[in-house]
Amino acid sequence: MKVPVVLKIAALAVATTSFYTYIGQLVPQKEVHPPVEILISKEMGPEEMRRVGRLVMDGKGLCFTCHTMGKKGPLRFPDLEGIGSRAGERIPGLSDVEYLAQSIYEPEKFIVPGFNPGMPVINKPPIGLTDDEILAVIAYLQSLGGTPTVTMQTQLPGQAPGRAGSEGATGGGTSP
Amino acid sequence: MMKKITLAIFAALAAFALTVAIATLLLKREYRAPIAAAKATTEATPRDVGLADQAAEQAKRDQEKPYVEAEYRPFPKVGSRVAIWVVAQLHLLFAAFVLAVPLFALIIEFIGYRTKDKRYDRLAHEFTKLLSVSFSLTGTFGAFLTFMLVILYPKFTSYLVSVFSLTFLPYVLLFFAEAFFLYTYYYGWGKFSPRVHLLLGLGLNIVGTAIMLIANSWLTFMTSPAGVSEQGALINVWDAVTNFTWMPINVHRIIANVAFGGSVAAAYAAYKFLQADNDEDRAHYDWMGYIGNFVAICAFLPLPFAGYWLAKEIYAYSQTMGLQMMGGAFSWLFIIQAVLIGNLFLAANYYLWLGMGRVEGAQQFQKYIKYLLILVAVCFAVWATPRSIISTVSEVRAMGGSSHPALGFLGVMSAKNTAVNILILTTYLSFLLYRRTGKTPVVRWAKAGNRAQLAIFLVAAAIVLFLGVYGYFVEARVRIAFSVPQVLSVLLAMVSVTVIDIFMFKGARSTGEARWGKIPAISQYVLIFIAVSFTWLMGLMGYVRSGLRQHWHVYGVMRDTSVDAFTPTLGFATQVVSVTVLIFFLLIAFVFWLASLGGRKDWEEASPGTSADTHPEASPS
Repeated sequence: MKVPVVLKIAALAVATTSFYTYIGQLVPQKEVHPPVEILISKEMGPEEMRRVGRLVMDGKGLCFTCHTMGKKGPLRFPDLEGIGSRAGERIPGLSDVEYLAQSIYEPEKFIVPGFNPGMPVINKPPIGLTDDEILAVIAYLQSLGGTPTVTMQTQLPGQAPGRAGSEGATGGGTSP
Repeated sequence: MMKKITLAIFAALAAFALTVAIATLLLKREYRAPIAAAKATTEATPRDVGLADQAAEQAKRDQEKPYVEAEYRPFPKVGSRVAIWVVAQLHLLFAAFVLAVPLFALIIEFIGYRTKDKRYDRLAHEFTKLLSVSFSLTGTFGAFLTFMLVILYPKFTSYLVSVFSLTFLPYVLLFFAEAFFLYTYYYGWGKFSPRVHLLLGLGLNIVGTAIMLIANSWLTFMTSPAGVSEQGALINVWDAVTNFTWMPINVHRIIANVAFGGSVAAAYAAYKFLQADNDEDRAHYDWMGYIGNFVAICAFLPLPFAGYWLAKEIYAYSQTMGLQMMGGAFSWLFIIQAVLIGNLFLAANYYLWLGMGRVEGAQQFQKYIKYLLILVAVCFAVWATPRSIISTVSEVRAMGGSSHPALGFLGVMSAKNTAVNILILTTYLSFLLYRRTGKTPVVRWAKAGNRAQLAIFLVAAAIVLFLGVYGYFVEARVRIAFSVPQVLSVLLAMVSVTVIDIFMFKGARSTGEARWGKIPAISQYVLIFIAVSFTWLMGLMGYVRSGLRQHWHVYGVMRDTSVDAFTPTLGFATQVVSVTVLIFFLLIAFVFWLASLGGRKDWEEASPGTSADTHPEASPS
């Protein structure tokens, strides 16, 4: 029996699309959902801030899309391992908290030598971390090779002024 | 025959009358209060009172209902996102076809005008036969998409309208102009002087491109918004139009449209070739398929370079978005893309190798095919090698990570850039060999010319390989910059080798004529495979372009808060792409069928005598 040409062409089209669909099923299947908002309490202590900071960096902050932890070799963006110990020495006159805050609120102001600019302003959309989330992130970053000194009351340079109960980044008992 | 039709009409009318009668009977059986006395003199029953109260309460509620602006409306079964996705993709595929065909039809017509070769004119005319129905389908899907957006995503659509309101009127006017140029170009074939007709074709292309540029501004704004405040208020409409990804998308789309249009036109020729019942038609459609595929491959070769530029601009706009694309949620999509592009290159080369059989004296070149095949296969394998491998815990331990200790090196950008550039050079070499079949250069410097071409090829390949390997030893920012000299060396090689070839084969001695139509039937299925693969690739890349926004309608400006505000799995995305591609081919088959109706003989009612001749049982003998 001779198969009509139209049927052969239809079979080829279906087979080709089926093949590509099959390839699509072979790769890892992951649904990416919008970041989950984490409730942040003003009463959090350093340990809780550190834990929440890590969660924010993993999720809403999208930090590990670019940054790595403990990776060596040619990197696209600075590795964050040990950042807590070197943050205070990056820019003369800036404490570690101030430096980290500047990297987040005004990332173009200082580019780590050897890297290209590219970090977005983290408190603006599309990432849009809140001031409290940023404080938690800084606590986590400080803990990478150092001790968190930032508190939920710390007033960071770049933050919206007049946050209730805030104190200066270098002032009070929370300065590094 | 007439009796049967009359009977069928009567049966249909009877069925309709029966249905009406049943419906009327059922409605009459609705509950009614018993008639005991005239309505005016009896008191209402408790049921009547209850019903009246209910109706009054409902009327009161209706009047008090506040107007609430809907943000989203659901679409049954598949959901709003998939519905919009399919309709938008179908609209884009037809639009791409309608924009591409006039581009190369005009060029072919111009070649025919300059060379006075009527075959080119006929070919260009045949390509445009596919246009009119496709244009109607593009418009229909465009209107469908607009209604779907207004119905399903009213708030988002209203925002886009507020930003781009100034662009809508020019868009509509250009659409009228396109209709004018398209139909005059098609129906005016042979009715005007060649120059006027060519000008009509030029007008059609200019207007079509302008329409595309406007539509591109809307969709690129969604990915890389500009000209608006942080809250999304419009500051400058021109900045919104000329946003970061606008021009790269324009260039990428024009090239991709030509490649896509060429491949679909070649598929039409293949379909006609396979249906042909004489050598003349087979020769014509073989030639048409060859030209269509030639157009597709010529556009396909620079397409990866346009893709690089687009990716570069996405990175420049937002590193986060760029990294999501190449290293995050969408990184595996590029492995699927590699499989598709590898298949397209393999198929394109295979078609050229099969085509060499048309020409006498092709044997001297056919011996190189096996080496070219090895090169294409190796490059394909490198390009499709992922950086990390899906593996079990024990396998990860054995490998010392998610990357294979040896193959993992092939999964990075250095290897992939190298593979794709060598793949392009190899395909170009296949084309060059095909071009030379049946010809011998007669110029005195032919030997030197051949050597120069070989040297150019080797130098370009060496630059690509050297930078590819060196990329493993330098910082990321240096490595990324290597792609530019790699691309430039390949482009330069293709241009310079072509220039040498054109001059070298000017007035070349013919050693064998091309026997159009004398090609295995499988070559035509290869053309159809290329068209389906290319359409599928467009669907996949459309998904990634749109999906990059993730949970944003307008990236960083307007968030998607609908139930679909998540990025689906790649498996699901490929299913939607496949369904869309199959619907497209079903519709394009309709276009092909309509286009081929013009070649049929006019219908004539059979005369009684003819009827007797064709029905032996009716014959008096």
